[in-house]
Amino acid sequence: MTDLEELGDMDEKLNLHEADAPPEETKTGFLPIQTNWFDRLFISVVIWVALSLIWFRFIEPFGPSIWISNAIALALAVLIITKG
Amino acid sequence: MHSNKLGWLLLAPTLLVLFFFGVLPFIYVVYVSFHQWNPFAVNPDMVFNWAENYRRVVFDAQFLASLGVTAAFVFFAVISELILGYLLAQAFMKDFPGKAIFRTIHTLPLIMAPIIVGSIWKLMTTPSIGIIPNLLDSWFGYNLNIGQSAIAAFITTVVMDIWHWTPLVTLTLIAALVSLPPDPFEQAQIDGAGKRQIFWHITLPMIRPAILATVFIRLMDALRTVDEVLMLTGGGPGSATRYVGVHIFKEVFPRTNYGYGSAISVIVLYLTIVVCWLLYVFLIAPRNKKG
Repeated sequence: MTDLEELGDMDEKLNLHEADAPPEETKTGFLPIQTNWFDRLFISVVIWVALSLIWFRFIEPFGPSIWISNAIALALAVLIITKG
Repeated sequence: MHSNKLGWLLLAPTLLVLFFFGVLPFIYVVYVSFHQWNPFAVNPDMVFNWAENYRRVVFDAQFLASLGVTAAFVFFAVISELILGYLLAQAFMKDFPGKAIFRTIHTLPLIMAPIIVGSIWKLMTTPSIGIIPNLLDSWFGYNLNIGQSAIAAFITTVVMDIWHWTPLVTLTLIAALVSLPPDPFEQAQIDGAGKRQIFWHITLPMIRPAILATVFIRLMDALRTVDEVLMLTGGGPGSATRYVGVHIFKEVFPRTNYGYGSAISVIVLYLTIVVCWLLYVFLIAPRNKKG
């Protein structure tokens, strides 16, 4: 077996060929970009944190609890992950 | 199945190091950020206080002001470094006398520790003994005193960052420019394209990935600038150069307010990730979609 053949064999063992890798499941929902499930989870977390900080700063001083913001963020997360 | 196991086995040392030195400290900082914890206070225990630290952060005027000056610092520093770095990279693509020496001198700041850079600039900008105030005074009659003028202090920190980090941008862009194939440029010249057209329609699109990678690296670095600014201005005068990194340092170390400092750190990390992600989404993702 030559060196090159040996390398090729190693590639196969390590599953380094992109063609052999499972295809990434991406989709285009209502979000303007193609996303996979992790992207949508990430976007949900980003929105959750932003919404919480905005709530603390501008809405909570008038009374509404932060749990309302968490509930909205959770609903948005479900929507984004399933339909985004 | 066998190949997957082998792959994971080979990856395991890297993943373990990443977990223990990257993921675990991050989780710990997030954990601390939900506590009131000052180990040198009367009550040194960690007290869980829900999101009280985050609630305090959004009303912290000093933190919000530091975010503003950090944004200005990052904007001016990164843009200037990119333009200067590109011009220098183009200059280094051509042959000129003393090129090797100039390139070595140009790269020297890059190998210096930030604290050394801060010390050097502190010496160079100290009124009466520093070379910069002396030269500015004799050439333009301008009295530079970064201990008194907020604008001068801010500009000096930006210039110091440019001096320190432009070589990194230059080296990255040289690598990108060297790897460009000559064919499209020859073809464009044959078709009668001017230098400007070649730059906008061939060079820039082809080195775009390198530019974006450099912007990401510099953006993240500039957002966490602490030591050189702390050495040069100490965050002053007033809070003119109190960038978020300096603000966190002052909150965590002199005041030993670990819980609140951790909350600010998490928010700064969040903002850094969001800015980089937005850059990625608007500059890279649409291009990939088209391709």
